[in-house]
Amino acid sequence: MTTNPRRNLVNQSNALKSTGPRSVAGKRASSQNSRKHGLSCAPDFESSIEYRALVELIAEEGFSAFVCADIASGLLNYRRVMDAYYDTYTRPEPVDEFLRDMNVKASIPIFSELLSPSGSKHQDVKEMANFFADMQRQERRKGGPISRRSADSHKLIRYQRNGIARLSRAIRQG
Amino acid sequence: MLYNDHFGIYVDVAMPVEDKSKSLLPFLSSPKLLTDESEAEFQSGLQSLLSELDNPSPLAVALVSQLNECLWWIRRHTVDKELLLHEAMARLLSREGSNWMGSGNSALSVALEHYLNGSADKDQADLIEEALTDGNLTLSDLRARAFKDAARHIKMVDDLIHRQHQTMRHLQRSIDSIDYKSRLIKRMDLELAALESKQSVKGALTLDDQSS
Repeated sequence: MTTNPRRNLVNQSNALKSTGPRSVAGKRASSQNSRKHGLSCAPDFESSIEYRALVELIAEEGFSAFVCADIASGLLNYRRVMDAYYDTYTRPEPVDEFLRDMNVKASIPIFSELLSPSGSKHQDVKEMANFFADMQRQERRKGGPISRRSADSHKLIRYQRNGIARLSRAIRQG
Repeated sequence: MLYNDHFGIYVDVAMPVEDKSKSLLPFLSSPKLLTDESEAEFQSGLQSLLSELDNPSPLAVALVSQLNECLWWIRRHTVDKELLLHEAMARLLSREGSNWMGSGNSALSVALEHYLNGSADKDQADLIEEALTDGNLTLSDLRARAFKDAARHIKMVDDLIHRQHQTMRHLQRSIDSIDYKSRLIKRMDLELAALESKQSVKGALTLDDQSS
């Protein structure tokens, strides 16, 4: 492998600044870190007006106060999960059509033209082409919008399972 | 009277049960529909399920509305299975053919969608047929290969449908439990009333004996 002192210097100085992921896969994964549905945190239903209205209505069906509270929070929790499920289903990660459809091999002359002012070598162009090819592979692996929304919704299955089990248990034990 | 700002509904705690059930409907099943879905159809499904309830208590109504939503999700996911196949077919065609390069992958997907629906114009039909010829494929070959290609995502959608079935089972059991509980309470009330009336008759007889 050929060494480029200038590139080594740049790499070393960048490495000193960087504390995050280095690989393309790592960067792509960490870019999704901020994407949250909020279902893992414990909600505070007790202070909501819906909760109080539900507790009063359920109490008239002969359940004890404790069970009423359990059923009301179970029902609101289930609704919260289903609302997040709907949001996930309707807003999947968008498809990057340019990246998905681009012809990387045919774009090599463009990469070389883009990099030429900095006095780049063949190795740099190859690295850039590999970078785009890798990004494209990952983009294509995710599939189209339907595949993406199915995969995203699939991640919420366990929340649905827990939500309905909690509600059902509260009602049947009452 | 409680007003819910977010859902825009009134819940009056002094309402009769049926009215409360109605007021709870938008609160727990504010229909979140997609742009191409009919709200009238959603509501008619809900009403038909509600009409089967023997005892429409507010909680039972709330659970039935969740049940209706599950049925709606199953419907959506079933459509998604077919769409996944179409997506995979378009992907395979674009990989096999060469004529798509000018028009792009998205154009090919749209053309294929119209072609499969039978609503493709001449240009779209030509594009698809040319792509099939280039790849040396028939439509059924393409479908079979697409099924294999999209198997992972189809399995995911099957899991999602299965989850809705499981949820429905939970909801059904909960509704049965509420129904059983209300019947039990009614029966106990009747037994209590019978015991009280017996007691009052006995009391009257004892008083009669004492006086005689």
